[in-house]
Amino acid sequence: MPYILNTENDIREMLRVIGVATLDDLYKHLPSQIRLKNKLNIPSGLSESEVRQAIKGLAAKNKTLDSFNSFLGAGLYDHYIPSALKPLISRAEFLTAYTPYQAECSQGILQAIYEYQSYICLLTGMDVSNASLFDGASSLAESVLMSLRITKRNKIIISSTINPEYKKTLYTYLSGFNFKIQEIDFGAEGSTNIDSLKQALDENTACFALQSPSFFGIIENTENFSSLAKEKGALTILVTNPISLCLLKEPVNCGVDIVCGDGQVLGGNISLGGPSFGFVATRDAFLRQMPGRLVGKTVDRENKTAYCLTLQAREQHIKREKATSNICSNQSLNAIQSAIYLSLMGKDGLTKCALYSLNLAHYLYEKLRAVEKVKFNFSQNFFNEFTWQIDDSKGVIKKLYKEKIIAGLAIEGFYPGLKNGILSCCTETKTKEQIDDFIETLKNILK
Amino acid sequence: MDNRLIFEKSDSGRNVNYIKAPAIALKEPNKILPQSLLRSNLELPSLGELEVVRHYTNLSKRNFSLDTNFYPLGSCTMKYNPKINEELSSLEGFLNIHPYQNETCLQGALELIYNLESLLCEITGMSRFSFQASSGAQGELTGMLMVRKYHKVMKNKKRKVIVPDSSHGTNPATSSMCGYETVVVESNKDGLIDLDKLSKAVDTETAAIMLTNPNTLGLFEENILEAAEIIHKNGGLLYYDGANFNPLLGITTPRLMGFDVIHLNLHKTFSTPHGCGGPGAGAVGVVDKLLEFLPAPVIDKKKDKFYFNYKVKHSIGKVRAFYGNFSVLVRAYVYLLRLGQEGLVRVAQNATLNANYIREKLKNDYNVASNKLSMHEVVFSCTKQKEKGVPALDIAKRLIDYGMHPPTMYFPLIVKEALMVEPTETESRKTLDYFIESMLKINKEIEENIQILHDAPHTTPVKRVDEVRAARNPDLRWHPKR
Repeated sequence: MPYILNTENDIREMLRVIGVATLDDLYKHLPSQIRLKNKLNIPSGLSESEVRQAIKGLAAKNKTLDSFNSFLGAGLYDHYIPSALKPLISRAEFLTAYTPYQAECSQGILQAIYEYQSYICLLTGMDVSNASLFDGASSLAESVLMSLRITKRNKIIISSTINPEYKKTLYTYLSGFNFKIQEIDFGAEGSTNIDSLKQALDENTACFALQSPSFFGIIENTENFSSLAKEKGALTILVTNPISLCLLKEPVNCGVDIVCGDGQVLGGNISLGGPSFGFVATRDAFLRQMPGRLVGKTVDRENKTAYCLTLQAREQHIKREKATSNICSNQSLNAIQSAIYLSLMGKDGLTKCALYSLNLAHYLYEKLRAVEKVKFNFSQNFFNEFTWQIDDSKGVIKKLYKEKIIAGLAIEGFYPGLKNGILSCCTETKTKEQIDDFIETLKNILK
Repeated sequence: MDNRLIFEKSDSGRNVNYIKAPAIALKEPNKILPQSLLRSNLELPSLGELEVVRHYTNLSKRNFSLDTNFYPLGSCTMKYNPKINEELSSLEGFLNIHPYQNETCLQGALELIYNLESLLCEITGMSRFSFQASSGAQGELTGMLMVRKYHKVMKNKKRKVIVPDSSHGTNPATSSMCGYETVVVESNKDGLIDLDKLSKAVDTETAAIMLTNPNTLGLFEENILEAAEIIHKNGGLLYYDGANFNPLLGITTPRLMGFDVIHLNLHKTFSTPHGCGGPGAGAVGVVDKLLEFLPAPVIDKKKDKFYFNYKVKHSIGKVRAFYGNFSVLVRAYVYLLRLGQEGLVRVAQNATLNANYIREKLKNDYNVASNKLSMHEVVFSCTKQKEKGVPALDIAKRLIDYGMHPPTMYFPLIVKEALMVEPTETESRKTLDYFIESMLKINKEIEENIQILHDAPHTTPVKRVDEVRAARNPDLRWHPKR
């Protein structure tokens, strides 16, 4: 039997020690009505070689992004991952450890998470970060819940240009309560409509949540929104892409109170959208309303630097029904992975990564602009993706797909008003040749 | 050894060469975007690859882990994480696929999830599963939001959720996140559900009870069917916290026990690694009457083609973006294929055998929280040791010196000086004997050298950590030098 080490001899001897005759006797106190009468109707176990073959067969049925010239982003981005990352994050001492409850035998994990928290603070400019949440969507939901606890108000305003999957998650997370959620529209340029925010804000507003770069790729003038929110005593929550922060103004200087988002871009695989991790960072003043784990620096009995989980009085295992969240396990390994990624890439590598993405996306934009029949309505202030229109976009996408090009995401499904809109992305992994090939193929299709 | 932070090892002016510069004329950011949108300063370290490799390799060595140490952490099911899981979940065909790709590109992934769902349905008796939740706690949130929506659609007036006082902290915390009032029911002297107290606590406003079985004392709730009847009679539902499902594989199912909605921690029972606290996966299963409430989409099959089905009438929506921690699902599926029908029963039996063996060998020296037969774990109450001046904490820390990760401490809350030991089925009798021997030695050390216990651990990179100071003066990040 794989993975079970007790031999028949061991079992016999152990049963004798326990004082029962058979393994089944260990279950004799279970009511007979609930015992399974038959064996589970599942296949018998397979050898490792058979399983490997079967699973490789399934993997081969997928067509990976590498088999296309892909411009698909929309919340998950294909960035270069240095070779040194995998061997480090695959080390069994990280992979097979539990949450570092026992500080003395978990110093390495704790220091790595402390470094992760520091990295998130450096990128966002905020005072404190937690040790990670599940993903970008649930980190937005937790940030909104946090703002409700801080302000004790009951109205939430969100921009409609937040990633639709995140919005959906937020609605689900709040469905147990009677909070009011108001979504505000975007203007002709695709940016969040500031006049709509002005009208929506009132004394009951707990927070305004904005995404920048938005789902459409647009960089918002975050300060303009946060200063309005502040006037009404509401907090500003910003969803952002951490790679973009290598170039864009740090949220702390945009008047933001809580920053959140998804960390997949920091060395994570796309892998059908999970696992990645969510991050949350905020100001010192709101520390005690943070959800999730925190690692702190302290000393041991001999006054040596040491790390441990801290401020646990916020958490479910202590506070139970009064906890700031029910979160227990987070996405620690992914968070540590991002710290290693950031360390490997360093300031130089990350700046290049962001700079090349920005330049390539704008190169694609310029090239598309020169294509007849392609239309642009939205702002040019975008980071690594943008929205464009073409008549019969679905037909065009299909034809490009036949030529092994994934043009991007048809956004009509999420925004019915944006007929024929396509969201296209370039990261540093794209080449001039791939972009030129996309443009030439598109021109041929439109002929 | 150099234990400085990565930031303190940085040298300025070091360049890396991981990515190729594009063959286009590069513009500075302020030539593309307004200066007002850009940052002026970015404080990130610069290191060489070897320095980073050495730094994190050395950090990894300052930990206990399952691959290096016995890890009998109760409620966490630290069973061996097979290496084949890692290899196969890292196949390019699984790592490099985007959820917004055409479904025809994702057939292998969808088939895998579909097959995993079928296996779990058979193992639990549930009708369907959702794999969106990234952990047990998020599974609870998913399941309980479905309970809430069910009552709403059925127009049932419900406002309370029952949890036993022995429950995991996530249960009451989840109940609060769903807008419910939590009612705590005291356990009986054996640590089991007290049916009288339960009857009194339950009324027509009871939305659900959240139970784990075996419970956190490692005991099987023998009156589960009676408890189910009390809840169901009042129009409530039963939520199964599957954190402790390991000893019941192939023995019984949550369905037979009367549960309506469940989560399974794939990172516990189904062998996926814990990764310092995640990523995990909470698979949420339901009986027929909750099918219409599952998070959308579910994965269905039409004429040999697998597809995302968004037509879920009363779906609660989504609890995260996309479809869950996919590569965790790959690992769990690989594990199930390896174990199969006979293997799963052996897992359950050996997990139970190992826990009871430890219990029998230690019960004369350490009080056991209950005299009943254990299931997957055994909870000791170190009150005899505490009377001699040695709390459970000292015993736990001393175990580190013997090369073992401590059991879960001071939980469940209803047991004084609790040490909760879950050996799992993947440990050998030799390892259990070493643990037992060490626990007996520690008990003797109380008489021989009590200070060695108070000062433990002695063999770790740091001595006992000042957690009070950490909480009093929070230092949660590195600051750049101004």
